[in-house]
Amino acid sequence: MGIAFGAGPVIESAPTRQDLVLEFINEHVTNHASDGHTWNLPFLHIPFLDWLRYDWVMLCVAVVVSVVVATIGARRHRPVPTGLSNVIEALVVFIRDDIAIANLGAKEGRRLTPFFCSLFVFILSVNLLGLIPMCSSATGNINVTCALALLFLVLAVGLAISRRGVLGFLKSFVPHGAPVILLPILVPIEVISLLARAFALMVRLFANMLAGHIIIFAMLGLVVIFGYLTFPVVGIVVALLFAFELFVAIFQTYIFTLLSAIFIGLLLNPEH
Amino acid sequence: MDLSHIHLAAIGAGLATIGAGLGIGLLWSHGLQSMARQPELLPKIQVSMFIGAALVEGVALFALVICFMQMK
Repeated sequence: MGIAFGAGPVIESAPTRQDLVLEFINEHVTNHASDGHTWNLPFLHIPFLDWLRYDWVMLCVAVVVSVVVATIGARRHRPVPTGLSNVIEALVVFIRDDIAIANLGAKEGRRLTPFFCSLFVFILSVNLLGLIPMCSSATGNINVTCALALLFLVLAVGLAISRRGVLGFLKSFVPHGAPVILLPILVPIEVISLLARAFALMVRLFANMLAGHIIIFAMLGLVVIFGYLTFPVVGIVVALLFAFELFVAIFQTYIFTLLSAIFIGLLLNPEH
Repeated sequence: MDLSHIHLAAIGAGLATIGAGLGIGLLWSHGLQSMARQPELLPKIQVSMFIGAALVEGVALFALVICFMQMK
């Protein structure tokens, strides 16, 4: 890093430890936030597998995990389920009662419960896989959360159009009983608020997942800068941050599912 | 004086957390007061408080994302 005072010459010193740590954190973060670098097996290198990308592999693993968990959980052993089936049933009942029916009404809520369950289990597996040491969190990549937010947007607009027709959907952007003079201001605000909700869903999930990783890297970077004697204290702090990140992973999936249900409900039944 | 060595993005991210802290603090204080007044509404108020906290944090994280974009 250069130091410049006034009109003097710029002095370029040798890269300090701080620079190396910053560079490592930057490279790791931008690799997660952008396209992602290639993935290969943890300790081998097979040139044949160089076309795989990190987050793409993580998404496939998460899909496999979700399908396996749901298939095992959905088998009907006996009238009162035990074990994993019990957990899955509790989860589905929770999503059906508190998320789907509370926001969409009884009929639409039952129809859309499978969508919210799949969304919940998928985002939960993607988030939790990011906590395993050699894996990364696919939702730490903004392209993945953009796809999830687009999923919500397409579903919301598609449901609204199928219920009321295209003209009815466009008319729902006009607030009921507003003076005609204010319409050029109110209608763009309504349209932008729908897009802003999808954008906020995307950014909220992405930033929460990425910030957890970055904080842990920055704390471990402190150990590199200040020597290995600081490791016990920093180790305890990092362990606590890890526990907090576990809570954030589960909480953010609940928030994503709940908010998408609320916004779909608001779009289907515009409050007069 | 050349100020290129000051990381303004980090200062911006720090400022953003002021808003988040204020928002979440006010939200929970009013929520706790109302929960104390009417304990039978506890589950509904708790759920609403969590939703509100997520929305406020979302706004603060917009600023954090812009800070991420400043990293080279």
